[in-house]
Amino acid sequence: MDPSEIEFIAEKSNIEIIPKFNLDGVIHLISGDIGPFRAGLPLIVPLWLALNLRQRNKCRILTPDWMDVDKLEEKKEEEKNSKFFTKMPHEHYLEVTQLLLKVANDDINRADEIRTLIKDLWDMRISKLRSSVNTFVNSGGIHASLDHLTQLEINSIRPLLPDALNMLQSLNQDSDSETEDGDSTQNTTRNRNTTDSFLSSSFHSSS
Amino acid sequence: MNTSEVAELERELLQNEDLDEDDNEEKLTAQDVLEIIEKAWLNEKFSPEILPHKTEYVDCMLEQIKYMESNISFLQSTDIQVDIYKFELERIRYIITSYLRCRLRKIELYAFYVLEQETTRNSEDRYLSDSELKFAVEYIQNLDIHFDSILKKMPWNLQTLEDPNKRIKPNMDSYVFLRANKSVSNVIIKDVFENREEEVELLENSQHLLPYSSVVMYIKDKSVQLL
Repeated sequence: MDPSEIEFIAEKSNIEIIPKFNLDGVIHLISGDIGPFRAGLPLIVPLWLALNLRQRNKCRILTPDWMDVDKLEEKKEEEKNSKFFTKMPHEHYLEVTQLLLKVANDDINRADEIRTLIKDLWDMRISKLRSSVNTFVNSGGIHASLDHLTQLEINSIRPLLPDALNMLQSLNQDSDSETEDGDSTQNTTRNRNTTDSFLSSSFHSSS
Repeated sequence: MNTSEVAELERELLQNEDLDEDDNEEKLTAQDVLEIIEKAWLNEKFSPEILPHKTEYVDCMLEQIKYMESNISFLQSTDIQVDIYKFELERIRYIITSYLRCRLRKIELYAFYVLEQETTRNSEDRYLSDSELKFAVEYIQNLDIHFDSILKKMPWNLQTLEDPNKRIKPNMDSYVFLRANKSVSNVIIKDVFENREEEVELLENSQHLLPYSSVVMYIKDKSVQLL
């Protein structure tokens, strides 16, 4: 899956904004109702709408509770000390942070520190993930538990891990069948030989 | 797939078009339907085989989009609401097209296998929608015509292409990521390396990496969601 599609999914999560315009009545979206918009009064909207309104300078985005330097500092410490993956403050922490910092950098308190902290968290988790994938494949396990990994993190190992396991599987199956029915392999090689020789002879005759 | 089987499928297809589809209408809001489609989209993206179709939901959502669009046309184009509505519709349309494309890709890739499986199912629990079935049947016919026209020019001993050679099967044992929507016990994982079985329990909201074949029935009954 393309990371942009995960960003697309992340944009579904809700966020609090302060609109700069008035709009009476509720907007009935298919994914749920939002509104009414009153200038200066905070309300919750999907992230995709918040970003769109912010780009048109029609609202201010409020920093989400978890996007706080102290809390993230704590989280980073916890992640560092834990052997396992810890629960992240948000299912799409990296995507949401990146989107917010790109579009609404001015609205976020201590944006640069947040950026570094989130990046550190991500790096730490990805390297933890890589080493556990390595252990898992070497141990020859057939089932892995991936609690607290976010969708984007899972996606980052998608091209590699399942494919590697599938490949191992088919290699093992092949080596099994080779030892069991060596006869049939010989047969196919013999058949191929006859076709080859037939082909070459027909080429000769036509030329 | 021989011609009589194809003819059989085509006949059933015609019959299906006559049937009314209002038997499984539950009281769902548009929001519920959207959620179902979003989940189906992710499942379809990550499963090796094609999953049962969700035509009734997709059609319902397309109706809804049409209805919304006609409503929007009554609003003034300078109204900020118009942009918000349109933006959401675009997002939903993306999900639907991505979902349908993903299914078409699988149908093309596994055409022979998919149709062979379809003939074993009766018309109520088909995996393909009517139009997908039509697409698959036509795709195979065209493929056969194409192969025939090329094979004619081959040396006589290579002029026939055995059916199994054209048949690509999805790898049902391939590994998938998933999250359990509710606790599922006694999930059996076959270990092809050592010919033994292992049993695991999936707790609610836990995430796992498992062979697809172990969880295929739990995906279809919605106990687990692919990631």
